[in-house]
Amino acid sequence: MSTALLYSFGGILLIGVALHRLVLTTDLLRRVVALNVFAAGIASLLIAAAYRGPEAAADPVPHAFVLTGIVVLVSTTAAALALIRRLDDLERSVDHDT
Amino acid sequence: MIWSDPSTMTPEIMTWDLPSLVVILPLLAAVAAFLLPSAAVGIGLGATALVGAASSALAARLLASGPEISHLGGWTVPLGIALRVDGFAALMLVTTAGIGMLVGLAASRSFAAKGATEAPAEERQRLFFWPLWLLLLAGLNALYLSSDVFNIYISLEILGLSAVGLAVLSGKAAALRAGLTYLFAGLLGSLLFLLGVDYLYAATGRVDLASLGAIDEMTPALSMALVLMLAGLAIKTALFPLHFWLPAAHSNATAPASALLSALVVKGSLYVALRLWVDVFAPTAGLGTLIGLLGAGAIVWGSIQAMRVDRLKLLVAYSTVAQIGLICLVFALTDEIGGETAWQGAVYLILAHAAAKSAMFLAVGRIAEHLGHDSLERLHREPLRPGMAQVAFALAAVSLIGLPPSAGFLGKWLLLEGAMRADAWLWVGVMVLGTMLSVAYLMRPISGFLRFDRVEGPVIMPSRLDAADLWPLGLAVVAIAMGLLAATPLSLLAVGSPFVVPEVVP
Amino acid sequence: MLLWLVFDLVLIGAIVWLAWAALAARDGFEMIVLFMVLGLFVALAWVRLQAPDVALAEAAVGSGITGALLLKTWRHRRGRAAGDAAADARPSRALGFGVMGLVTVLTGMLAAVLVLIPRPAPSLAETVFANLAVSGVDNPVTAVLLNFRAYDTLLEVVVLFAVVVVVWLLGDAEADRRAPRLGSIFFGFARLVLPVMVLIAGYLLWLGGFAPGGAFQAGAVLGAVGIVLLLGRLYTPTAADRLPARLVFGLGTVGFAGAGLATLALGNAFLGYPPEAAKTWILVIEAMLTVSIAATLAGLFFGAAPSGRPTRESDR
Repeated sequence: MSTALLYSFGGILLIGVALHRLVLTTDLLRRVVALNVFAAGIASLLIAAAYRGPEAAADPVPHAFVLTGIVVLVSTTAAALALIRRLDDLERSVDHDT
Repeated sequence: MIWSDPSTMTPEIMTWDLPSLVVILPLLAAVAAFLLPSAAVGIGLGATALVGAASSALAARLLASGPEISHLGGWTVPLGIALRVDGFAALMLVTTAGIGMLVGLAASRSFAAKGATEAPAEERQRLFFWPLWLLLLAGLNALYLSSDVFNIYISLEILGLSAVGLAVLSGKAAALRAGLTYLFAGLLGSLLFLLGVDYLYAATGRVDLASLGAIDEMTPALSMALVLMLAGLAIKTALFPLHFWLPAAHSNATAPASALLSALVVKGSLYVALRLWVDVFAPTAGLGTLIGLLGAGAIVWGSIQAMRVDRLKLLVAYSTVAQIGLICLVFALTDEIGGETAWQGAVYLILAHAAAKSAMFLAVGRIAEHLGHDSLERLHREPLRPGMAQVAFALAAVSLIGLPPSAGFLGKWLLLEGAMRADAWLWVGVMVLGTMLSVAYLMRPISGFLRFDRVEGPVIMPSRLDAADLWPLGLAVVAIAMGLLAATPLSLLAVGSPFVVPEVVP
Repeated sequence: MLLWLVFDLVLIGAIVWLAWAALAARDGFEMIVLFMVLGLFVALAWVRLQAPDVALAEAAVGSGITGALLLKTWRHRRGRAAGDAAADARPSRALGFGVMGLVTVLTGMLAAVLVLIPRPAPSLAETVFANLAVSGVDNPVTAVLLNFRAYDTLLEVVVLFAVVVVVWLLGDAEADRRAPRLGSIFFGFARLVLPVMVLIAGYLLWLGGFAPGGAFQAGAVLGAVGIVLLLGRLYTPTAADRLPARLVFGLGTVGFAGAGLATLALGNAFLGYPPEAAKTWILVIEAMLTVSIAATLAGLFFGAAPSGRPTRESDR
């Protein structure tokens, strides 16, 4: 079995673990982490697809995709976390009022 | 919407790289509106008008000389990225700018500066609406023109993030909760789409639609990629049963935001799905039937919910679920004889729904302002004489139901004709059922509007002519008028149509 | 060869175990730390797969900055059992097994389809290498990001900008002022480390032209500098910093899009740099991106439009 395929299976397992927890958890922070693990699995698949053996240079296009994906993901994560913090503040102030 | 005549255009405009400009202009304006909050309204409206003018000029150019391709960076595909403009894309560009302009005018009224009495939450709405709308516009335009699956993924993210920003603009806890669910659903959708892009690249080494479309054989990897991408887009489009996020997100946003979210945002992902389905992949009959069945489920489920809910905004949001289902019936018909007609119908329904639903949400916003609530049960006991907002709602309902001569009628008629020519009587039946259901749920608020005199006591008169009612009314009129003035849009849609070969009638 | 196989299997096993352990952790803090370690292991795997550029970014952004954001949110919600499995509603046994079954089927199909792809699969690598000489840079990943597919990168910078807008819409700077401060050991550490990190960022940016590195990695490291400054209250933004902050956040988008407009004005395609000067164009754009990305990442960590008046050193 080739190295690339081995790491691809690793990526698919990450996707499986992430989806499993994503569906079952009700905690918001855990959901964010699960989506990040999902993305790491997808990125691993791309990086594995780009690998062309120890001698040849890897395909740079998937690498560029993953770099872009990482930045997009950290952005979306930041937005989700800002929403979670804001909601928390609002719920807290309601708790205090009652 | 203004259609410029190519003969009146200066030669410079004929050579400008308009496809790049309609993406870059709103981007720069978004930054400017964020930098200069005090001038945000002017920047927002001015940039929207400018993008509208550029889009119309582009559409006129297309009518005169056919589809266009801009090779960005001077690199041809598959190495570089190309912006491709065909009639479908141009039609979406013009509609988006036009609807955005009217909703923007309505927003400039409802988010007007109130000076010293302004609450911090109101100030935030007023300041942040414009950069978010301009980012949304840039994201949508990028999506319409993109001919590269990875580029589509990034455009979808711009669209999704600015949409979430608009959904939580009010800052209320219910909106924030709905916005968070929306963000999670959207992110899951994007990631599924990206996983599909993974499989496409791994199997073909290509991400541009032209190369992908040239591949005839549907290998398992391509089928997997298509299913993953469509699943991601279905979440973003809120196709039943993946619509779980939509009703709360759309009904808890402020009126102009709801209008944009339902009119334009869900259509962005639907547009991509339709393009991938028709332009790029050889449609698989089984998958098309499955999507059609989900569409039928959406019609039934969305309509039943719209008949049950008590809040007017929620009713309008569930109606979006049902209408999306109606449009998605086209996926079951494109492979048949009459596929092109059905496709034209679906595109026209997208446009009609965009105009009608934005009118409806703005009108509902005005009615809720008058009443101080949007409960349907209480609406039946309110002595409010119907005004312009109610008229706008009713006109929009005419288009949503599909009564002639509205745009909704034309779209539904074309879709029906496509189905009948394919002898697909199941789908014909579903469309008829959907029409009856839409009459049923839309009559609930309309009968409520008309019962104002059943209650004893003084009748509330809405101020006769309020400028704020003009914009929903204008949108509703557009939803009707596009049915009457369909010749130009339909001939534009034919430019670079993916159905190149004339159909053979048996 | 066998040694490599063992290494690969152990590494992949560790990655999958870390992912499982992080998501099953009972304690929120434990979950985040395990997730950050997972990021580092994934980066290691990518180095093994000859993707050092991406591995750098994953370690700095995917693990480091995402981890910092998660920890900030976890602390914000402390006392409300954020991220604790105890707070998770326990799914019923049937639901648990049902989801497990579905996920197994899905991953099985993903793996099976992947195996069926004929190899070697076609790719764009040859096209990229053939055009590398005229791209203005020697690092193929930088060539793809800033030349061949520069439009993607422009839109990516826009995503960052959009998030800053959303975060400013939502954030509450006052809530964070109440947060506890870090101890004195931290300041000694910060004074030592910060200048080094700034140097590393500059080096990475310069390196990106011909070796692993580039604007994103440099921006991430510089952004981390900003986060350390904010954490230690070595720099506390005030309302007066809003306009400069807005300017720097917008710089990436405006600079990049402006470069595109400039190329159009030159009569080239959008973002089509003059070939003889491509290197300079790319370097200037990258420098603007680095600054803007760094400020944006730090701004996302700060999490709100800054408010309040400047505080004196003695107030601390």
